[in-house]
Amino acid sequence: MKRATPALIVLALALLPLLGMEPRVYLTLTVAGLAMGMLIFLVASGLTLIFGLMDVLNFAHGALFSWGAYAGFSAVLLLNRGAGWVESPSVWLNTLALLAAVAAAVLVAFALGVILERVIVRPVYGQHMFQILITLGATIVLEELIRIVWGPNDQVMPVPASFQGSWDVMDVIVLRVPAIAIGMGLAVYAGLLLLLHRTRVGLIVRAGVESGEMVQVMGHDIYRYFTGVFALGSALAAVGGLMWAVFRQSVSPAMGGEQLIFAFIVVIIGGLGSVTGSLVGALMVGLSYNYVAFLLPKAALGVNMTLMVLVLLIRPTGLFGASR
Amino acid sequence: MTTPVGTARRADRARRWRQPTVWLRLLALGLFAVVPLVIPSFQATDLAIKIAIFGALVASYDVVIGYTGIVSFGHAMFFGFGAYAVALSVGRFGAPTYGHLLLGFLIGMAVSAAIAVLIGAFSLRVKLIFFAMITLAFAEFAGILAVQWSSLSGGEDGLSPKLPGVFAIAYDGGRILGIPVTGKLVTYYFVLAVCAALFLVMARFVASPLGRALQAIRDNELRAEALGVPTFKLQIVSSSFASVVATIVGGCYVMWVRYVNPESALGVPLMLDVLLMVIIGGIGTLWGGLIGAAVLLTARLLLPDLRGLATLLGGSEIAQRLTERWLLVFGVLFVLVVFFFPKGVLGTAREGLARRRRAGAAQEG
Repeated sequence: MKRATPALIVLALALLPLLGMEPRVYLTLTVAGLAMGMLIFLVASGLTLIFGLMDVLNFAHGALFSWGAYAGFSAVLLLNRGAGWVESPSVWLNTLALLAAVAAAVLVAFALGVILERVIVRPVYGQHMFQILITLGATIVLEELIRIVWGPNDQVMPVPASFQGSWDVMDVIVLRVPAIAIGMGLAVYAGLLLLLHRTRVGLIVRAGVESGEMVQVMGHDIYRYFTGVFALGSALAAVGGLMWAVFRQSVSPAMGGEQLIFAFIVVIIGGLGSVTGSLVGALMVGLSYNYVAFLLPKAALGVNMTLMVLVLLIRPTGLFGASR
Repeated sequence: MTTPVGTARRADRARRWRQPTVWLRLLALGLFAVVPLVIPSFQATDLAIKIAIFGALVASYDVVIGYTGIVSFGHAMFFGFGAYAVALSVGRFGAPTYGHLLLGFLIGMAVSAAIAVLIGAFSLRVKLIFFAMITLAFAEFAGILAVQWSSLSGGEDGLSPKLPGVFAIAYDGGRILGIPVTGKLVTYYFVLAVCAALFLVMARFVASPLGRALQAIRDNELRAEALGVPTFKLQIVSSSFASVVATIVGGCYVMWVRYVNPESALGVPLMLDVLLMVIIGGIGTLWGGLIGAAVLLTARLLLPDLRGLATLLGGSEIAQRLTERWLLVFGVLFVLVVFFFPKGVLGTAREGLARRRRAGAAQEG
């Protein structure tokens, strides 16, 4: 019962806006909020691994987000120019194009993640201040590289033809891209839970976070696992970036910056290291933003911050955080 | 009564005027003082006073990050509070007077102190890293507020206040020793004096018993707490003190530039600059802020001129973008500095000096 309390509170709060609007509007907003929350979760899930689990303050997460978006952007452009997969009306070709973009984003970000972890993060494990500084430096470099390779201006992200527009389910408007994002977010959530709690790799990583030396004594190369986790987190950031770019239909070099703050807020609300926590946190942020933006447009800007402050006041370790 | 600390302090005081650092600081102040008299170009004067302003801002940040060990991302916000408070108070109530100027500073300081205490009170209890995130969120919020609440803050266009009396552009105080005394010159010396005074206050602050307690918290919080140091309270005192100093510096900035907008005074980019400056100068050195500010501001002034190199490199598009993006070079340099000189310029120099002194002492003994 005690473990379910936060979930109940969240449910009660989610139903609260019904007092101020029609049910149909409420449903539309809820779907939009869920979608936004899932998009945020895609980014935050990577940060949960890197910041929550490994305790590395990775400010380069935003830059990896942008890199993922740009890698996918290039893949989609190439496919469209070469084979016309994006503009073709065929659902299958469209899906393939999107999958290819996701694969490109994941590959690029995974490689970048391995390099980042090996070169600049490994020497500063356990030193928060240096992690912040050095990943900030990496962010500057990565963002500038984007500006050099792809140019400094915003560009239009082509969206596969069958994913444009929206479905109308009983007067509730469901945009297609966010609907795909919701599916992806759920898949990532399930995958992460399985990986962390049902596999040997997950066991070793979780043990390695608790006591790295002990795991090494048992004969596991803990650093290799950490490199893997970091790269996985980077890849998740890239997927988030790509979906965000598809959702917004544009890419820009600095797009990762504001998302990074969102992601940090979500990870803190959810509790460090808890995947479920960041899912709930992301949904809370997404939903409350949409409700408040409808009811009191001016107040929407401060809603995330208020949410974080409130959660930290009530539960200093976050919603699902273990009290370490 | 002679305590060990008292004895050590007396020995320190006796040695004070024989140490090179005091003379170096006086020399730096002297240099700042003669710049506008010797070099007539506005660019040089502007650079000099901005180094003083940002040096003081970075030093106040160093009190938080270097001497107390708290990572804050909201420091630029307090700078912005000062800038906006002065700009609003001077610019929004008819003809500006000295009273308005003073009132602006006082209101800015009061607001900053209140918000710093508030932020500290609910975020420092938990975990230091939460403080970083909450200050970041607050700073972001303040930036958005300044852009959105344009009826008060002027939005993205910002405010350009006119200063009263001797600080006004039009002020003409005749000539003293053949040098024309203008409003700009008076402002220069006023701001320089305020920055110098702030440096002295901060140096006193970190060397006081309170400052020593803060360093104890930074080095080992559990131990400090076990020794009876009220860690939570002192951390709040330190961050509020630094915030108020940053607010005063922000007011000075507006007095010199006579312009404030959200990007130049409140935003995350400014915070990044301050972070870079504190690293370059050296964390936990206080005076390193001046060096960091000097390096970064000078580089920012000179590096864009590198664009001419692009034509030498053959003028291809990639080469051109490469030279346009001097920030890239800067980012790489920054990472290298953090890796190889984690103590910054001043910290590394101090370490080298201490090592030589120890080697010398070993030879004598």
